[in-house]
Amino acid sequence: MDYAGLFAAYGDKYLLAVFETLSMTAVCFAIAMVLSVLITVMRVSPIKPLRLVGDLYVQVFRNIPGVALLIIVAYALPYLKVTLPWKTCVEVAVVLLASAFGSENFMTGINAIGVGQIEAARSIGLTFTQTMTKIVIPQALRSAVLPMTNLLIATMLTTALGSQVPLNPQELTGLVSYITTRETAIGILPFTVSAVVYAGFSVLMGLAGNAIDKRVRVIR
Amino acid sequence: MSAHTVSMRDALYEEPGPKTRRRTRIVTAVSLVLVAVGVGFVVRQFYITGQLDAKYWSFFLRPSTWLYIAGGFLGTLRVAAVAGAIALVLGILLMLARTSGVKPLAAIARVITDFFRGVPSLLLIYFFYLALPQYGLRISAFWMITLPVALAASGVLAEVFRAGVNAVPRGQTEAALSIGLTPGKTMIKIVLPQALRIVVPSLISQLVVVVKDTTVAYVVSYPDLMQNARVLITNNDALVQVYFVVAILYVLVNFAINQLSIYMARRSGNPIISRATENPT
Repeated sequence: MDYAGLFAAYGDKYLLAVFETLSMTAVCFAIAMVLSVLITVMRVSPIKPLRLVGDLYVQVFRNIPGVALLIIVAYALPYLKVTLPWKTCVEVAVVLLASAFGSENFMTGINAIGVGQIEAARSIGLTFTQTMTKIVIPQALRSAVLPMTNLLIATMLTTALGSQVPLNPQELTGLVSYITTRETAIGILPFTVSAVVYAGFSVLMGLAGNAIDKRVRVIR
Repeated sequence: MSAHTVSMRDALYEEPGPKTRRRTRIVTAVSLVLVAVGVGFVVRQFYITGQLDAKYWSFFLRPSTWLYIAGGFLGTLRVAAVAGAIALVLGILLMLARTSGVKPLAAIARVITDFFRGVPSLLLIYFFYLALPQYGLRISAFWMITLPVALAASGVLAEVFRAGVNAVPRGQTEAALSIGLTPGKTMIKIVLPQALRIVVPSLISQLVVVVKDTTVAYVVSYPDLMQNARVLITNNDALVQVYFVVAILYVLVNFAINQLSIYMARRSGNPIISRATENPT
């Protein structure tokens, strides 16, 4: 089978798979961003228990292997009477992982601002809310552009976890394993197509992130 | 008070007055209750589904269980160590090619680096597991998991090394060239040794990614921690318990590696270069 044959037989499945990978990436990244803001707020709040929970959350989900987390969500939670659709399982796992790294990125952004700026803001009489909205958050957001671009790419790569559960339609990695097990003489063709799509979108996201970063970067 | 003792987290707030202190205490109490309710709910769910029954946990008291887990952990370590070593060598080679100044060579290295960084390691594993055998290439389960993990890591490591080389002051290269060293010798004798020292904390933190990637070894049935966990589950009919214990083990190991890299970074003053901190393209 050559590329033409592959596309004739599986072209529509590939299109669906690309859409599936990209849409899961978009959904997971959006939810992960909201969640990581919440976690970060908890971690910088003066409320001790919330800080602890936030720190614990980040340490657990940045250190757990994605596959282990997915398997727990997909196969262990049903024993605890929590049964989710397969796709939701993948998305939950990806969101948990991505939000932990997202919160780390925000924390790094906040830490990079420096205590001096906060002290300066306070000494010119800014209130806490003003300090946050005028000094801390704008700078933290700007310096988070590059790390978050990398997180977006990482989120896309993490959606490959979807190949470990029966998804319908399948995403790019699951489709490769599906086609390769059915067509025993197809070789590296299906693999190459998916790999090129992944790598292509990674490079595109990277370029976009770099362009945004160049415009908003805070030069220190 | 010196600025070093105040973390950014704490600097965000004024020293609280009596009113704020009272409010903080109230919110703290409320949040404590909320957290307790959350934990209680999880425990309750375990309890009412019978997952806390002794029969699901008692086999953790048998030494043989832990020996088996330890065996799986050794498998994980073996894959991680070999994959890490291969990735180190490949990463340095890719970086040397990219910074060589020979245009075609640099372009090829860049494409390879971007490719391995932009492709999920699961896809690479399926390549070795499903695609290669169709060409009659038979490799053992160990290499089927180790090679893709190594390749995935080599792309990231190449970028880490490049950042390390860039962090060596320009003057070093200029001085070396001016005393008559060739560009190649300058790289090998002057720049690389310093760059390697700079990236040590980053290399350690990349080990976490390698350990995480090895968990997919069950796809190729290599007896790592995850695969042995699956065997334990079939033998003891205790899925929830085994997966939770194994997940905690992974978290602890990776946490320890992360803490080590942070410690090394602090001691040496070299920042951790990770995927998150480097440039995406």
